[in-house]
Amino acid sequence: MGLRLEVDFSKCSGCKYCELWCSFKHEGFFSSTFSRIKIIKDDLREIDFPLICQNCEDAPCSKSCPTKALYFDEKEKKVKLDEFLCIGCGSCIDACPYGYLSMNPLKLKPLLCDLCGGQPECVKRCPTGALFLTSRDQQIEKPQKHELGKDYATALAAGLRLRSKWGIRDV
Amino acid sequence: MSKLYGYAGRILRINLERREVKFEEVTKELAAGYIGGRGFNIRKLYDEVPPEVHPLSPDNKLMISTGPIAGTGFPLGARVNVSGKSPLTGILGDSNAGGHFGAEMKYAGFDQIILEGKSRKPIYLYITEKSVEFRDAEGIWGKTVSKALDEIIREIGDHRVQVGIVGPASENGVLFGGVFFNRVRPAARTGMGTLMASKNVKAVAVRGDGYVEVADQNKFEKIVDEIEKEVFSHEQFWPRRIMGTTRILLAGNRIGMLPAYHFSRGEVDFAYDVSGEKLAVKHNVKVRGCFSCVVPCSRVYVYHKDGEIVVNEGLEYEALAGMTVRIGNRDLEKALAAVDLLNELGMDVITTSEVISWAMELYERGLISLADTDGLRLNWGNMEAVIELIKQIAKKDGFGKLLSEGVVKAAEKLRKGMELAFHVKRLEMIQADPRALKGYGLGFAVASRGADHLRSEPFIELSDDPKIGMEMFGEPEATIRLGIRGKGRLVAYYENICALVDSLEVCKNLAENMNILNYEKISELFTAVTGISLSPREIEETGERIVNLERAYLVREGIRRKDDSLPSRFLKEPMKVGKSKGQVIELERMLDEYYAARNWDVNTGIPRESTLLRLGLADVVEDLKRRKIELFS
Repeated sequence: MGLRLEVDFSKCSGCKYCELWCSFKHEGFFSSTFSRIKIIKDDLREIDFPLICQNCEDAPCSKSCPTKALYFDEKEKKVKLDEFLCIGCGSCIDACPYGYLSMNPLKLKPLLCDLCGGQPECVKRCPTGALFLTSRDQQIEKPQKHELGKDYATALAAGLRLRSKWGIRDV
Repeated sequence: MSKLYGYAGRILRINLERREVKFEEVTKELAAGYIGGRGFNIRKLYDEVPPEVHPLSPDNKLMISTGPIAGTGFPLGARVNVSGKSPLTGILGDSNAGGHFGAEMKYAGFDQIILEGKSRKPIYLYITEKSVEFRDAEGIWGKTVSKALDEIIREIGDHRVQVGIVGPASENGVLFGGVFFNRVRPAARTGMGTLMASKNVKAVAVRGDGYVEVADQNKFEKIVDEIEKEVFSHEQFWPRRIMGTTRILLAGNRIGMLPAYHFSRGEVDFAYDVSGEKLAVKHNVKVRGCFSCVVPCSRVYVYHKDGEIVVNEGLEYEALAGMTVRIGNRDLEKALAAVDLLNELGMDVITTSEVISWAMELYERGLISLADTDGLRLNWGNMEAVIELIKQIAKKDGFGKLLSEGVVKAAEKLRKGMELAFHVKRLEMIQADPRALKGYGLGFAVASRGADHLRSEPFIELSDDPKIGMEMFGEPEATIRLGIRGKGRLVAYYENICALVDSLEVCKNLAENMNILNYEKISELFTAVTGISLSPREIEETGERIVNLERAYLVREGIRRKDDSLPSRFLKEPMKVGKSKGQVIELERMLDEYYAARNWDVNTGIPRESTLLRLGLADVVEDLKRRKIELFS
């Protein structure tokens, strides 16, 4: 069983520092859009949620991939991307149940976390310890699709659970 | 032209009346001379908004500007400045806020957004890399900050959109409305929200998929690594992370600088009950940060209101002290409810706390009665009355109508209490008693937007360490809280740094309170990000240029030395209790020293011609002369 990026989103401050340095390490410039980790924020409900690849074993992204550029690596228990095979069709992006995958608008390849070869920049830079590496394998539940997108729905579902712990009843 | 790194490179100019959009280039001269943010805004304001323009006329402009660092991975560096001629003070209006707006605006491709004219109908703007949309805001006009924000996000259908929004108070013409970013991060001072609402603009929404490149990647990464190390090992890191600026309340009580009971006492016996410490222990559940911040100092708190559990975010020292000690309130939960209400209605908490505490002092002294207040019992700490009054102010209703134009106009209309109206240049006093902090006091008196600590913020004064004063300013007293000598140089130095910091759009937690940025560091950083090489000496001059240009703007509006003053209570009445007991502030001596340090004329407070010319402001010299303003060489 390989390494796995984990989040404790009750610690996430939503600063997007991880996004910036992810983009910088992979692309050479700073941008939220080009990051392989996505911070979903909701200022009305005080939700900050780092969305990472869940490395689903059934890998819906891979199932939808016409060229098998995306595949689930059994040994590392991780979804991987073979950029050479990728034709940039975007079907994986629709298939991802969490809305995690997005397209690199310049290279037209999906932005998929590669764990920076075992030393993730996001973990190194996270100022609150919300991101860490583990070998545990635990999946978040699949959310319903929502008007602001799957990624938002994922964050909202998790955020509302945290809020109920604080005693907040949301309608 | 060689490429400008760091910047998006474009200025967006929107004419609201004609619904016209223009793009201007950020030139290397503008970038090197004014850096960004506050610097860009004052340059454009000086050039485009002359004294003849009334603040609430369509000819006034609203400028939102961010700096070259916003959007990069520099920690604590993505703020925005919102500027225009102030409806509240009639002079320079300028307010700074954190959040995520600045970076998103950069990713949308703009360093500065200038709003001109007045829309015929209520609208909100939706700005992306591809388009500027004028969207109908009839349906959200009059709605509270969070309700309107919610509707805008749902209408746009994108949760990443960043919005600067005004509340109903601004729409109703309350002169101290703010522009609220991320709901609870307002650019609240000097009525910039009121200005935006006067243009019939409810909100500005931005969304961008662009990116920011830095000139020297290795150098930049090295600088960030160093800054991170300094931040994480700084003694203020944990207190600030846990409490934000609310930590100042209890610390301020220890040195007797609190504005308790409208500045009549510097310390109170219930400070812990309303402190940041109490808040952290009892109410905080999580930290939140601005964009790219490694000291996330904003906190999510949970409290009870009318039997309901409420969750909200933020609360800085200014709001906490304003809704507790300043108005004699001992109940923390009631203070939180008052601040939340102010945020929803979109008002500046500092100005509100002054108008309310001013009215309370008049009421308690019997100078006004129930007949004047429309039946509100304004005893110290009566929070039911305070909540009612806040609602009245926002609606310009009842007694609140009198207070809705700021403390000076309220005193003028009431024909009472002018000597108790605590303001400088018509901007209401912040939550610190200048008798206890002499350098801050001088800073309030000379600040270009009125009573304000963020133009100089000489935090190092609190070190009370004469060695630092000797090393930095050649005067041991400069870094002694109650000392007088050397404060002119201290304030001038930190004013320059603050002008740079507000133009780079870095947070003052990093620059002032942790004292991590000096001219050398800023020079290194600016060069690594933008590729424009400015030496530490040139960087210092850039800060000086921005301060002088702001001063020239004020001079053109008629501001002189006599306006660099403080309310008479601070000059004449010794403090009655606390660690600063017996203190008054001797302002005139410090002012003399300050003008000397600035090389301004000591009698008038007008920058000397030679100073302006040295800073490359020949056009300003010409303009002032054309307007028959006498300049001394």
